[in-house]
Amino acid sequence: MFEYELPDVGEGVAEGEIVVWHAEPGDHVTEDEVLAEVETDKAVVDLPAPVDGVVAELRADPGDMVPVGDVVVLIDTEADDKDTVDTEADDGSPSAGDTTDTTGAKTAPDTGDTTDAIEGATGQVAENGAAGQVAENGAVEGEVSTASGRVFAPPHVRRVARELGVDIDRVDGSGPGGRLTEADVRATAESGGEETDTVTDSGGDGAAAGVEPGQTAATQENGQHRSAVTPTGTADGTTTDAGAADRDRTLAAPATRGVARELDVDIDEVPTERHRDDEAFVEPEDVRAYAEAQQAAQTADADTASAPAETGSTQTESAVEPVTATAGTETAATTGTETTEADTRTEPYRGIRRTIGDQMAESAFTAPHASHHDTARAGGLVDARERLKQQAEAAGVHLTYMPFVMKAVAAVLPEYPAMNAELDEEAGEIRYHDRYHIGVAVATDAGLMVPVVEDVDRKGLLEVAAEVNDLVERARGRDLAPEELQGSTFTITNFGAIGGEYATPILNHPETGILGLGELTQRPVVESGEVVAAHTLPLSVSIDHRVVDGAVSAGFCNDLKTYLDDPIHLLL
Amino acid sequence: MVVGDVTTGTDVLVIGGGPGGYVAAIRAAQLGRDVTVVEMDDYGGSCLNHGCIPSKALISVSGLAHRAGEAERMGVYAEPAVDMSAMVGWKDQIVNRLTKGVESLCERAGATLMTGRAEFAGDGEVRVVKAGDGQGSETVSFEHAIVATGSRPVEIPGFGFDGEHVLSSRDALALESVPDRLLIVGAGYIGMELATVFQKVGSDVTVIEQLDGVLPGYEADVTDVVHDRVESLGVDFHFQQTAREWEATDDGLLVWTDSEAEGRAEKRFEADRCLVAVGRQPVTDTLNLAAVDVETDERGFIETDDQARTSVDSVFAVGDVAGEPMLAHKAFAEGEVAAEVIAGEPAALDHQAIPAAVFTDPEIGTVGMTADEAAEAGFDPAVGEMPLRASGRALTLDEREGFVRIVADGETGFVLGGQIVGPEASELVAELALAVEMGATLEDVASTVHVHPTLSEAVHEAAKGARGASIHY
Repeated sequence: MFEYELPDVGEGVAEGEIVVWHAEPGDHVTEDEVLAEVETDKAVVDLPAPVDGVVAELRADPGDMVPVGDVVVLIDTEADDKDTVDTEADDGSPSAGDTTDTTGAKTAPDTGDTTDAIEGATGQVAENGAAGQVAENGAVEGEVSTASGRVFAPPHVRRVARELGVDIDRVDGSGPGGRLTEADVRATAESGGEETDTVTDSGGDGAAAGVEPGQTAATQENGQHRSAVTPTGTADGTTTDAGAADRDRTLAAPATRGVARELDVDIDEVPTERHRDDEAFVEPEDVRAYAEAQQAAQTADADTASAPAETGSTQTESAVEPVTATAGTETAATTGTETTEADTRTEPYRGIRRTIGDQMAESAFTAPHASHHDTARAGGLVDARERLKQQAEAAGVHLTYMPFVMKAVAAVLPEYPAMNAELDEEAGEIRYHDRYHIGVAVATDAGLMVPVVEDVDRKGLLEVAAEVNDLVERARGRDLAPEELQGSTFTITNFGAIGGEYATPILNHPETGILGLGELTQRPVVESGEVVAAHTLPLSVSIDHRVVDGAVSAGFCNDLKTYLDDPIHLLL
Repeated sequence: MVVGDVTTGTDVLVIGGGPGGYVAAIRAAQLGRDVTVVEMDDYGGSCLNHGCIPSKALISVSGLAHRAGEAERMGVYAEPAVDMSAMVGWKDQIVNRLTKGVESLCERAGATLMTGRAEFAGDGEVRVVKAGDGQGSETVSFEHAIVATGSRPVEIPGFGFDGEHVLSSRDALALESVPDRLLIVGAGYIGMELATVFQKVGSDVTVIEQLDGVLPGYEADVTDVVHDRVESLGVDFHFQQTAREWEATDDGLLVWTDSEAEGRAEKRFEADRCLVAVGRQPVTDTLNLAAVDVETDERGFIETDDQARTSVDSVFAVGDVAGEPMLAHKAFAEGEVAAEVIAGEPAALDHQAIPAAVFTDPEIGTVGMTADEAAEAGFDPAVGEMPLRASGRALTLDEREGFVRIVADGETGFVLGGQIVGPEASELVAELALAVEMGATLEDVASTVHVHPTLSEAVHEAAKGARGASIHY
């Protein structure tokens, strides 16, 4: 048994938060396969498996803060996952699924159990193992198409078959040489419906159990259709829907989706405990188990239709063999707690999302914000960039407007020291910074990050440009060192890159000023009494009103406008 | 602070405006979806810009020049002069017209077109990185994405494309002058088509191929016809040769090859330019697929099911990037299916066969099973064959080589496939494809009246032949 201690996943990081596990007990993992995502201060790091083996126990839940050096997972390096699964499936005893193993790969035993449920309901007396066999064969035969995989049917007939949920391999053709017609497909669809009735009505009739594997699949399809039209709210509806999940999104391999289509199962309804990247992940056995459970529920409904009404999950229990019912109920119960009400998706509030949220809350509820909006003429800025672009390009630097704005801000800030400051409430002091470190807000996949360009006032335009480009790129690649995200004295956010004119930026706490840039584009302005088109840049400034007065932010904006209208002022 | 979480949203985001992408976009828009297409290059993809269309333009015009100069026996005397840059200019006009057409079709259908390189930025989002100007990128959120990024020519080690000495097919289709000596590495369909083009406009073409024949994957009696014809045009073939290295010379380059079969003896080829046409590979490196967990196979193709879905629910993939065969018409079909599945229709890729054509001289057209494949699949194949030397229309085209073969199930008569080599084989194969797809029998084809005198009569006659009832042969 390998005890895996949380390594130092960052540089000198003391603890990490488990964001998500990518493996669960019973999963076979290979060395370097990603076991989990662990978040430290600002970066999310993949935690690779150190050895090959089978996950025996997870010692931390998502959301837990784990000190470096604590054991997070036990990996059995001797076991093989195949054996594990086989044993569980062969066992087939009801307790395998519902007692001790609460986190583990529950689907394997569930498959066996729900299969039993069907057999029980249709009166088939069979050993657990044998029952499983029948179902297995059914599924396999359903996939393997008949004679060399070639169906002699025109495209429109194949389409009708898909619409009706008929497996075209099972339709007998009436045309020359057995060629399929639309009528053949429709006839099969209808006769399939009759077969369903037979199964449902006959209950304990041995004939039902003798249905050929292929027909079983067809029956399920029709059963599904019927369940879809059953009004919810009736006893039938409740029971049938009990096991259904209701997700907007499901991860699954193409082959799994194929199985779902074949069994006419909506993959978003298939209950699963597996997750990948916080998304439900479904495997073929989940789909088959669900399809079978659905049919068992159908049959159960039919059997109990005339019986005294019972409530909730006990109805399922009464319908199928008591032994197997527990498993069925459990499937329902488990998924019931896992999934959410219709139309709402929940996800845990943690990770970088939470870090951002905490900071926003601290800033918004600590500093009284005031905003000032204005629009700068930016003709000179556009010209300047146009003229310098080629040279910058030659120097290997892609020149955007951002470095100009940063230089302008650094030039204006000395006149407005209160906006390059912070309030230390505990000490009862306002600290004015003599250096101009400008943070640039970057939207990344993981959320907002604010890398910092230091001493913007002392650096040349190209240098600032190169540094910003590099930081932004690496922020998006989550490749920033923590210190590159610290120490800004003023922040710029360029929401205009996405579009829009004005916003109300929240301060990058504990800074006292932040500048938001709208979209730089041509807008109508009045010049000598005429409306003309001119490049303008909307400015949105937020201040910590405890430290900065409104007049100060207005003055700051006015000065900034001078620089943006004609960047030659930067030379002074 | 907040960078307002404003993003552009769209129902269906199509990444790539080639055959797979633009068809998906148009179809999805027709079905009432809000569609955005992101293209980093030109609309129409490889097919319109650097593949099917440009090569067919040059094949037509080189064929015309060649035929005019070879028609003495029919009483025509001409010595056509060829101006490569004018030919390429004419080709470019066609390409332009078609790419503009694709753009306007997308726009008319109501799709929004964006320029840039799309990369996945996580769940339901891509970042569109704009080339060059101004602010770097824009985020687009989507309900469904259709990846249609296509493929690009494969390089072989040491032979990086430089557009000067070592050319890709794309470079070769844009040459401004006819190279005196052209070395082609690879005797697949691209190598063979371009060998024919350049030999016909006056190049001295040499083809080297690692395997021991041309057009791997096609039956020998089919490829023999093409091989013989191309050789008779003057193309020099060297098989079982692997290009190892090259160096620039004053007037071109020297390429060394070696061969397992000949005891690794090195051969040396001199040429003005060297075209490397050894295959194509999917373009996925621009996409940041890792951000959405879309799975690829060992060759880098995105794995999809019969509804063009990837391993991720909201992401579809169509065309070359979704695997072999890398053919525009397969991309068309997949694009439509992806759009229809997204719109909730029960569409699926359940085509019985995808036809293929090689535009050599003469052409090859195939669909479905060969006789061997049919036997392997458990059928007792009935095969009918009609040689074109027995076709009146072929003779009046001054064509005597080639044949039409039809393969059917001997028991039921269902048409399983066919192979055609001869003039207009790419057109003739359509009838066989229809027969295969419809589940038509030999009798159906044989009982359909065909126009006389046409090449399509050969298909008719082959169907009769397979039933042991040939009239004209």
